[in-house]
Amino acid sequence: MVKLEFEHRQAGHCESGVTRNLLNYHHLMISEPMAFGIGAGLFFSYLPFLKMQHAPTTSFRVWPGQVFDRATKELGVTTAIHKFRNPKDSMDKLNEVLEQGYPVGLQVGTFHLPFFPPEYRMHYNMHNMIVYGHDNGNYFISDTVMEHLVEINYEDLIRVRYAKGAFAPMGRMYYPTHVPSDIDIKPSIIRGIRKTANNMIGIPFPLVGVKGIRYLAGRMRKWEKNLGPEKASYYLGQVLRMEEEVGTAGAGFRFIYGAFLEEASMVLDQPWLKELSIEMGENANKWREFSYLGSRNCKKRGKPEQSYDFLADILLEVAGREEKIFKKLSTIKS
Amino acid sequence: MDESQNPVYKDKAHGQFRELSYSYKDGGNFDQTVGFHDQVDRLVLQQAWDLFHERIEAAKQRVLAGEVSPIVYYMEKNLLDPLNLSMMAGFSVWRVKWHFRPGVFKRLKEPTLQKYAAAFNITLDQLKKVD
Repeated sequence: MVKLEFEHRQAGHCESGVTRNLLNYHHLMISEPMAFGIGAGLFFSYLPFLKMQHAPTTSFRVWPGQVFDRATKELGVTTAIHKFRNPKDSMDKLNEVLEQGYPVGLQVGTFHLPFFPPEYRMHYNMHNMIVYGHDNGNYFISDTVMEHLVEINYEDLIRVRYAKGAFAPMGRMYYPTHVPSDIDIKPSIIRGIRKTANNMIGIPFPLVGVKGIRYLAGRMRKWEKNLGPEKASYYLGQVLRMEEEVGTAGAGFRFIYGAFLEEASMVLDQPWLKELSIEMGENANKWREFSYLGSRNCKKRGKPEQSYDFLADILLEVAGREEKIFKKLSTIKS
Repeated sequence: MDESQNPVYKDKAHGQFRELSYSYKDGGNFDQTVGFHDQVDRLVLQQAWDLFHERIEAAKQRVLAGEVSPIVYYMEKNLLDPLNLSMMAGFSVWRVKWHFRPGVFKRLKEPTLQKYAAAFNITLDQLKKVD
């Protein structure tokens, strides 16, 4: 029986919340937006060839696992990451690490997760949660989506850790082993901002970053003609689900990133970042307006209330704003 | 909006959890609030569940009409597509689609069926018919 003194705090996004909670446990007090910003989590990609729940995938974040990896690496925190072929090995290792006194982050699939809100129980294998103790085959879980602490039994935990399908977690577990006491977060903030700016405007590929938003806008204009109203509305709904649901804390992480820029301006003592955080907040509200207007097209058997051209124009405006913001951010100096 | 009610969700169990979200108000204030889903969330999530239920029902009718094998029904019921099902059961996508034919399904041997049953977490008898 192990039960660590773990403080559970809810978060907007599962991975950055897990990163924050794990680092806070080791007395490195950073906020969720800070973990997200240093981990360079903001992104955009539209992948029409990869179908998820019968519609093209839109993603507002980097590859799963990168936020934790990058943030800990940038901060100079030593971590251990394990994957296992055999479920029994993975559970033994989990018990062993818990007994050494480290809370452990796990990558799990959400379909069989018993305590998860039922409206989210789809096949999504990139969810993150923390185990902070076990007792007689019962595991104590801190899941940042949930308001309170929860528990899960041995069989269910194996099942979600070995969920199959795309991005199968394969029992992936990760935890910080050593956190230095004197960490200077300023250089890591600057590197995180540079990385995000490069991801958004520096990759010469049409489906990612600001170019990806423009590409999506172009495609959106043709949806109704090419796919018919019903499928077009479902495709639009998929973009909105990825933007507002699946733990983005609203507007596809743009609110979190604005909060990060605000905090960064104070830590780095660079007032121009504060102005950019205001621009990012306005930009996020524009995304929010897009999802509000777009969701009216997603009503059951309703006629589209907004034309797809109009929604695409909002996307183009958002893309213009983000390009401006990240061009300025890419010039950041220490 | 009334927070305790479910104006859009058809399933009563949906939308019962409070989540944390961020927001921004003019003047440079980022805020965190804990609350229930708002209208946008409800509309787009219900849309997805509507589609799932429609697909399950359509698959059931096609199985009963003898057009496809029960694998299609259980695939839709588990919210899977052929690609994900192929990863779960351990066959190639092409073979999974081949098994969708009723005639092919009837000739399948027990070990093959057992793999599908394990992927859907049901018994062999259940796999052979739709409930």
